Amino acid sequence: MRNRKKMRKRIGLVFLNLFFIALCFVTLIPILYALSVSFNAQNSLLSSDFSFLPEQFTLDNYREVLFGEDILVWFGNTAILAVSTVAISLAVAIPAAYCFSRRRFPGRMAVIRALVLLNSFPAVLSMFAVYRLLRPLGLINSRAGLILVYTGTMAVFSLWNMKGYFDTIPVELEEAARIDGASTFRLVRLIVLPLAKPSIIVTALMVLIYVWNEYIYATTFMTGEDKYTLAAGLYSLQATEMSGSWPVFAAASITVSLPVLSIFFLCQRHMVSGLTAGGVKG
Amino acid sequence: MGLKRQKKWKQKKKGKGKTTFYAYLYSAPSLILIGLVVVFPILYTGYISLTNMNVYHWFDFEIIGLGNYERALLLVDSGFLSALLATILWTVVNMVIQLVVAFVLASLLNIQSLKLRKFYKTLLMFPWAMPGYVSILLWKTGMFNSQFGLLNQWMEKLGLQAVRWLSSDVSAFICCTVVNLWLALPFMIMIMDGALQSIDKSYYESAILDGAGWFKRTIYITLPTIRPIIAPAVIITVFTTFKQFDVVYLLTQQAGAKTGSHFHTLLTYAYENAFITNNYGYSSAISIIIFALLLLFSWKFRLKEEP
Repeated sequence: MRNRKKMRKRIGLVFLNLFFIALCFVTLIPILYALSVSFNAQNSLLSSDFSFLPEQFTLDNYREVLFGEDILVWFGNTAILAVSTVAISLAVAIPAAYCFSRRRFPGRMAVIRALVLLNSFPAVLSMFAVYRLLRPLGLINSRAGLILVYTGTMAVFSLWNMKGYFDTIPVELEEAARIDGASTFRLVRLIVLPLAKPSIIVTALMVLIYVWNEYIYATTFMTGEDKYTLAAGLYSLQATEMSGSWPVFAAASITVSLPVLSIFFLCQRHMVSGLTAGGVKG
Repeated sequence: MGLKRQKKWKQKKKGKGKTTFYAYLYSAPSLILIGLVVVFPILYTGYISLTNMNVYHWFDFEIIGLGNYERALLLVDSGFLSALLATILWTVVNMVIQLVVAFVLASLLNIQSLKLRKFYKTLLMFPWAMPGYVSILLWKTGMFNSQFGLLNQWMEKLGLQAVRWLSSDVSAFICCTVVNLWLALPFMIMIMDGALQSIDKSYYESAILDGAGWFKRTIYITLPTIRPIIAPAVIITVFTTFKQFDVVYLLTQQAGAKTGSHFHTLLTYAYENAFITNNYGYSSAISIIIFALLLLFSWKFRLKEEP
């Protein structure tokens, strides 16, 4: 009797594991397919006996991506945009978030409410207005314009997310330091910022990933290929030469995804805690 | 000016005014940036929505009142109302499937004897970790493309005719749903998984002692307990689903590479009118209507949860 029950449990477990293996495989099919195509030497795309393991292994497609296309230029553009955007975002958001978390002043609640509402506004909808406003200023097709748009778009999130995290840091710590005679600047630098590190890291990463992945502003506002970001460049790779460059496009996709993938899996734990503490809880 | 004001405040009430002044001073860069890039364009969009601005009236546009709103809301064949209906259908279908599938998978992942849980979870997180637009483009070329898409290769193997998956409305809707679920499920599974783990196991033990089956345990213990925990994440997901742009745009509506499907969410519809057919006034009116709808939702849902 007992044995039978154990047996049934074990069979159930085997099926459960089989189910999850199948599920993971099905989930990963699009990525595995791209991987396999990007490493495959023969252009066996049209033959019907396709396999997930490349028949003839090659790195040619990656060589083509790295040296044949402008991907290094695009990477440079993205890096400039990303670093500036992250730096400016943090520089303006940290003091604001601290004030909104710690100080009580007239208009505070009104601004906080407005931020919640603004957060629900999709940036695509005002893109035309932004375009029309930036054009007379000469900020179309310029990095400065794009940085302005990116920092502004992410400013709501950064302020909100870090304010949420500052709220969870007990005020008592600061009060103790203040009694000991520390100025506000010292207090923030020596006590608050070290404690808020997870939230600062998460905010910086979210801004970074946003810039890395943003394609619609980058393709609409930047016209010259030498000014493309990685996202815009990848977008142009698939749009211009649809059929010919599928292996190259697959290789480019994998290349562009790798940094984001590694950031994600390295910081997975931080992501969850840093986001739930600040942003998601609202 | 600033100094004078500061002095005046100091005289009036010493502490309070100074705090206010410095709070606004330090928040100023952030608030000004938000004002310039987010608030002002919204107001400007509102202004454009009252004009007849389009390619032919780039500079010499004039104010025409609420004409654009009338066209969007009252003309049945304007396309706006059908886009609105499609978006609501899209949101409902996606949310229902997402919640059910995520709940089932998270429950399965929480079965005690499953030793490889962590491994499976990591693999299932991949769609979330990939840059969204890259995944969508990979789906478009790798799966749906009529020549070298995997789906059609399999169809061929089965002796069936190749299908142009993205060219008709219904099949485009289904394809977009599949891709959206693929992108969104990992997050939902994570949330559900966290919620399920937070349930006190002793509830189940006493319920089993009382003879409650799996179904009863789910209805009376699991669902009520996880509901408040997953609620914020679910509301956020409803919003992002309703506001979905990338999936529909990249799969079917790309500028210069349209597939022929007429399935639009509200956002792609507004985009098309602004950047493809260049009806700036009309598109701005739609943007304002969408914003009003979103404000209505968030006023109903999210503000309640604030302290």
